[in-house]
Amino acid sequence: MNIVLIFLITIFSISLFFYGKSKSKTISIKDNIKLNALPKFYGYYLVLWCSIPALVFLLVWSLFEPVIIKSIIIETAANQGATFNDKNEANLIYEKIKAIHLGTYFGDIDSILKESALAYAKFINLFTNSKVVLIFGIIIASVIYSLKKIKNNNKARDDVEVILKGLLFVSSLIAILTTIGIIFSLLFESIKFFSVINVFDYLFGTNWSPQRAFVRDASSITAAELEELKDAFGFIPLIAGTSFIAFIAMLVAVPIGLFSGIYMAEYASIKVRRISKPIIEILAGIPTVVYGFFAALTVGPFFRQIGENFGLTVSSESALAAGLIMGIMIIPYVSSLSDDVINSVPQSLRDGSYAVGATKSETIKQVVIPAALPGIIGSVLLAVSRAIGETMIVVMAAGLAANLTINPLESTTTITTQIVMILVGDQEFDSPKTQSAFALGLTLFIATLILNYIAQRAVKKYREKYD
Amino acid sequence: MTNIKIKSKNLNVYYGDKQALFDVNLDLNEKEVTALIGPSGCGKSTFIRCINRMNDVIDICKVTGNIEMDGMNINDKDLDVVSLREKVGMVFQKPNPFPKSIYDNISYGPKIHGKGETKSELDQIVEKSLKKSALWEEVKDRLDEPGTSLSGGQQQRLCIARAISVNPEVILMDEPCSALDPIATAKIEELIDELKKTYTIVIVTHSMAQAVRVSQKTGFFHLGKLIEVGKTEKIFKNPDNKMTQDYITGRFG
Repeated sequence: MNIVLIFLITIFSISLFFYGKSKSKTISIKDNIKLNALPKFYGYYLVLWCSIPALVFLLVWSLFEPVIIKSIIIETAANQGATFNDKNEANLIYEKIKAIHLGTYFGDIDSILKESALAYAKFINLFTNSKVVLIFGIIIASVIYSLKKIKNNNKARDDVEVILKGLLFVSSLIAILTTIGIIFSLLFESIKFFSVINVFDYLFGTNWSPQRAFVRDASSITAAELEELKDAFGFIPLIAGTSFIAFIAMLVAVPIGLFSGIYMAEYASIKVRRISKPIIEILAGIPTVVYGFFAALTVGPFFRQIGENFGLTVSSESALAAGLIMGIMIIPYVSSLSDDVINSVPQSLRDGSYAVGATKSETIKQVVIPAALPGIIGSVLLAVSRAIGETMIVVMAAGLAANLTINPLESTTTITTQIVMILVGDQEFDSPKTQSAFALGLTLFIATLILNYIAQRAVKKYREKYD
Repeated sequence: MTNIKIKSKNLNVYYGDKQALFDVNLDLNEKEVTALIGPSGCGKSTFIRCINRMNDVIDICKVTGNIEMDGMNINDKDLDVVSLREKVGMVFQKPNPFPKSIYDNISYGPKIHGKGETKSELDQIVEKSLKKSALWEEVKDRLDEPGTSLSGGQQQRLCIARAISVNPEVILMDEPCSALDPIATAKIEELIDELKKTYTIVIVTHSMAQAVRVSQKTGFFHLGKLIEVGKTEKIFKNPDNKMTQDYITGRFG
């Protein structure tokens, strides 16, 4: 029904656009008035007036209709003699009634349910009908109002601007509110987690084995169990693994990315640049899961083979393989950002250096790179936060065991991998195990936020210098 | 009789298909200031950039003809550009100090050429260069501050100090005062007067008054051609060419 209504509103709006356009033209010719706005603005004006009030009404109605119907139905059922002790039972009865109405209920139907289902059907009908009537009423009212404005309101242009500004504002508001919503949901779940597990046990614990808390209600944990869980959620192995893999990734990405950025910016001819820059940027477009299975199926076993030849035990899921592939994934970030900052170092600095007799590489090393350094640091930090947040590659290539190790040939795990592991499969939502995922998410979020902030400050500082 | 330091013969410069200089024959006297004047885009800067081969930086630029310094062919393919630029310093239109300390700005050149191996030798070079560029008194207590923190005029004198730090024979100045206020300009002009005792100076300028004040010899360029060259006095009082006359009296350009 809603889709039909939206469709009708759209059709109606589009035809009103043309109607408004031609009507304003006719008016200005017939009455010889010079309208203040172009005909198309009157068209837009009608469209906005016809669609926005009706759509907003439809949205609000759809949000509240189920809630109102539900409370009415539950009350009717209670009046019919239905008994329920708490909210959950009431919900159950309501679901039953709904299922009867839809014809998908196969249990026993007693008279109470039957009566309630009939009432439900009646209310649904009533609500739908009144919704349609009201919407058409709104459309007609707003169209009549706006049509009248074509005659004497010469400010259609300004009104359209105001409405458009409002629409843009609402869009950005939605984006901001969503972000805030996500942060708060992370925060609240984390608070629940930290009410069971001490913050310090979490932050400084060196053992991560969340499966110990499997399927255990937060509310029903006994003191003895709590003692046992105390050292199950130690964050240290995860942050160590994350940093370690990110470090290996940066060992790969920073030199290669930076050098290729320097080559692109300083040495490559326009032709080479035009071809090779997009190719490097394709690296950034490869889905991370592809990198992941490349790391897991090709690079990991390859390292193991090499390790065996040297008599080393290399786990086939190693930090080295994951870090290496992640580094390759990050190369384009470092290279294209550092290419940009190097390019924006003014030519006059290079000229100054050449003029005292410096060669190209001396100039790059001693003048260009130092001048671009804040920007380069910024690009590296952005790459680091990308590495820390990367999930797929580590899930596939680095393993799941939370080893506290600095041997790159062993398997380690990262924060993101553990979040995936915790949330895969069936979940008990108030088990500390599940909630720990939110705590991890929050920690990760704060870490990347700080890194991004520092990176952006660095980049900004650099920009101020030359603009 | 003054010696001729730099001699160009039938010098042509092309940027891609576009010819920027046409058969320029110009002699620059040793320890004298030569001013190059002319409307924008006439090839003055292109000419001086031939003297220290700065045009090499531009990919599409091609130079033909002859340009010699003390009998050495500057345009020779095999010439060591690094040692050429050691002998021919350059100061640019906009002050372009490196984002380094004042000290490092000056010591940059000597270090590159392996001069001043010990710290005290470097200190001496820095001090001497800054004194020569009349900046020493203003900055001697803050040599470790960034060069970019100086005022525009000071920055330009810093760039002059940077140019003379490697002990060149020729200094090229490409409109060195165009970004400066009159007081800073006066200081630079005073400095140029002082520097010409030691160095051969070529200055590109848009200010006729400046050319009169600082130079002994003036060359007038128009559309890539050297129209007239001669003693500054003569060029400004009694030029041979009608076009020169029109330009210096402000009838075009």
